Amino acid sequence: MFVYPQHSGFNAMKLQTHSLHITRSGKEILKGITFAVDTGEVYALLGGNGAGKSTTLLSFLGFLSPSSGTIQVNNKDVTSDVASARKMIAYLPESASLYEHLNARENIEYFLQLAGTSANKNDIDAALDRVSLAAEARLRKLRDYSKGMRQKVAIALAILRDTDVLLLDEPTSGLDPSAIDEFHQLIRSLADSGKTILMVTHDVYGACQVADKIGLLRNGTLVGEFTAQGEESIDTETVHKAFSSSIGTSSHAEPA
Amino acid sequence: MKSILLIAASEWRYWLRSHLALAAALIFFVLIIAVSVLTAARMEAEKHARSHQQAEAEETFLAQPDRHPHRMVHYGHYLFRTPAPLSIFDPGLDTVTGQSIFLEGHRQNTVMFAESSASADFGGLSWLSPALVYQLFAPLVIILLGHGCISRERESSVLTPLLAMGISGHQLILGKALALVSFTVLLLLPLIASGAIALANGESVVALLSLFGVYGAYLLIWVILTLLISATLSKRSTALGAMTGLWIGFCLVLPSIAVNITTDAKTVAGKIETDLTMLSDLRKLGDGHNANDPAFQQLRADLLKQHDVERIEDLPVNFRGVVAMASEEKLTKVLNEYAESRMLAELQQEQHLLDYGLLTPVLAIASASRAIAGTDLAHYHHFQREAEAVRFDFVQGLNRAHVEELSYENDINRNKDEASWQRARIDASNWQVLEKFEFQTTNISERVSTVSSSIQMLLLWMLIAFGALLWRGGKIKP
Repeated sequence: MFVYPQHSGFNAMKLQTHSLHITRSGKEILKGITFAVDTGEVYALLGGNGAGKSTTLLSFLGFLSPSSGTIQVNNKDVTSDVASARKMIAYLPESASLYEHLNARENIEYFLQLAGTSANKNDIDAALDRVSLAAEARLRKLRDYSKGMRQKVAIALAILRDTDVLLLDEPTSGLDPSAIDEFHQLIRSLADSGKTILMVTHDVYGACQVADKIGLLRNGTLVGEFTAQGEESIDTETVHKAFSSSIGTSSHAEPA
Repeated sequence: MKSILLIAASEWRYWLRSHLALAAALIFFVLIIAVSVLTAARMEAEKHARSHQQAEAEETFLAQPDRHPHRMVHYGHYLFRTPAPLSIFDPGLDTVTGQSIFLEGHRQNTVMFAESSASADFGGLSWLSPALVYQLFAPLVIILLGHGCISRERESSVLTPLLAMGISGHQLILGKALALVSFTVLLLLPLIASGAIALANGESVVALLSLFGVYGAYLLIWVILTLLISATLSKRSTALGAMTGLWIGFCLVLPSIAVNITTDAKTVAGKIETDLTMLSDLRKLGDGHNANDPAFQQLRADLLKQHDVERIEDLPVNFRGVVAMASEEKLTKVLNEYAESRMLAELQQEQHLLDYGLLTPVLAIASASRAIAGTDLAHYHHFQREAEAVRFDFVQGLNRAHVEELSYENDINRNKDEASWQRARIDASNWQVLEKFEFQTTNISERVSTVSSSIQMLLLWMLIAFGALLWRGGKIKP
């Protein structure tokens, strides 16, 4: 079902923005977007290159300050308390940037320690099992990993951090089809366990499969929002048409 | 604090796994150990040679047979500047100012080089000292290791998840700084070895701690600058290029420019020019060899009156000796005025050069290092003053023997025949006017006080750079 965003005020949402404007290097990237993600919800932001998807994620982490409007995590303004916001969020960047000279386990241990938590070997192995990273690969340095393997380590790290909120930047980029399916199941199960997930993606098909809501970004403006109805997924065809027209390509293209 | 320690430990793990720290430390240690051993061996050899030559010079002087006392005044004596204990770390001006001086009556000779060292290093190949290694090469090792500390994180996009973990820019910078500072402490360990040798040779613990402190501050400045550039520039290659450029500017170009500007701005009169003016002034004082010189008429009159006699032959003292003593005193006063004026000009020139320490910390550390080691210009002047005191004392001691031990009659008739010549000699026991000489550095509080401005400059550099780094730390973003 296609609806135009109509959030006018703040409810008790986990993540929300209101008339958010972000300007970088003199260029307005976000032009007053308003949306909210509730607890246990998966929200997918769809949009073409330069639409402002990653900027939105970085704003929730406090890396970019709004030129106007507000941005909140757990009903707290991010700009006034960045540290609290970051504590609640596990962020998975697009390139799954981790240390090349460390193996999977060392990377996870180090980042968890920095985040002020820890995990024993069994917990780490369980998380790596959950993302299907082969056991024999876990002691190899990440410089020998494929992009998909790194992505899995980053996802395992996000799981182990056990934060309320997950921000995922193109999380399935670089994963093979079976890994993408596994990942979608994982995302769904995390959301079902109460995690709030905001992901940005180009993958219309994947977004429709996993998201409770989809926001369509075009040139820094949220031009549409789609919501799943009950047990039914969001209609891929509808979203695909809207997405294609928003980025100016044929509406008959096959879903990604 | 835990995060800072974690970041520091992680940086060390990166260095060790990339073998970067090991390679950088290995190259540095090989260099510093080789240079330290060579410099220590050279300075120890110099010390023994100069001590031996000093003893030999004293022995030779004292072994002279019965002679006319004024012949001994011109026979003269050598003094050798014993190297300071810390010259094994920083030989300073020792290699360029000469180490021995010939003392004789009526003149102040310039310090000259001992033959052995002069011939060994005409090419200046021994210029590399442990101090120079720390001043020039230790910063390079810090740059090599530290340029990527933060730019590497940004370049590999790890900075974003790192900051997203709740790590602040300040924590990141302090963690990296802790790693780099701990590495720098390792670099300073060979200095302790040089210090231990100096300690065994009589140097004070305070001097060693001061030296350790100023070099620690100097290298900390490089640590901070390296991190500042690393935090500012997004690529490792750009950061390395910028820091290399800064090193070339600070260590090679600016000191050289500062020296040239100082030489032009604060000229010190040349020796020939000064000597000609001084000789002209000295001539006005009369010829101390000639008792009939009009310049000593008043002295003659006063003496005759004092002893109530008509002729100088009737005086109870040798008038020629009295003239020699009076002449030496007046000459020395003029010589000292010229010497002090020259030393003041040299110090002003040095101070002017040090003012450029605000542009590069290398000038400040070089000055502080030489002063604490006791191998700076002030110690060179100290040696010249001590040498002059020895010269004046022994010349006047001999003149006193001339006055008291040789009669005027025998003195003026000394060239008549062989017997007269023999009668104009005095006993060799009168040559015991020399005191045993060993050049000592000044005490450490005096040394440190002369370089307080250098130390202040290092602290200023450190504070400004640290302030800039903290400011930059607050602005670190992915």
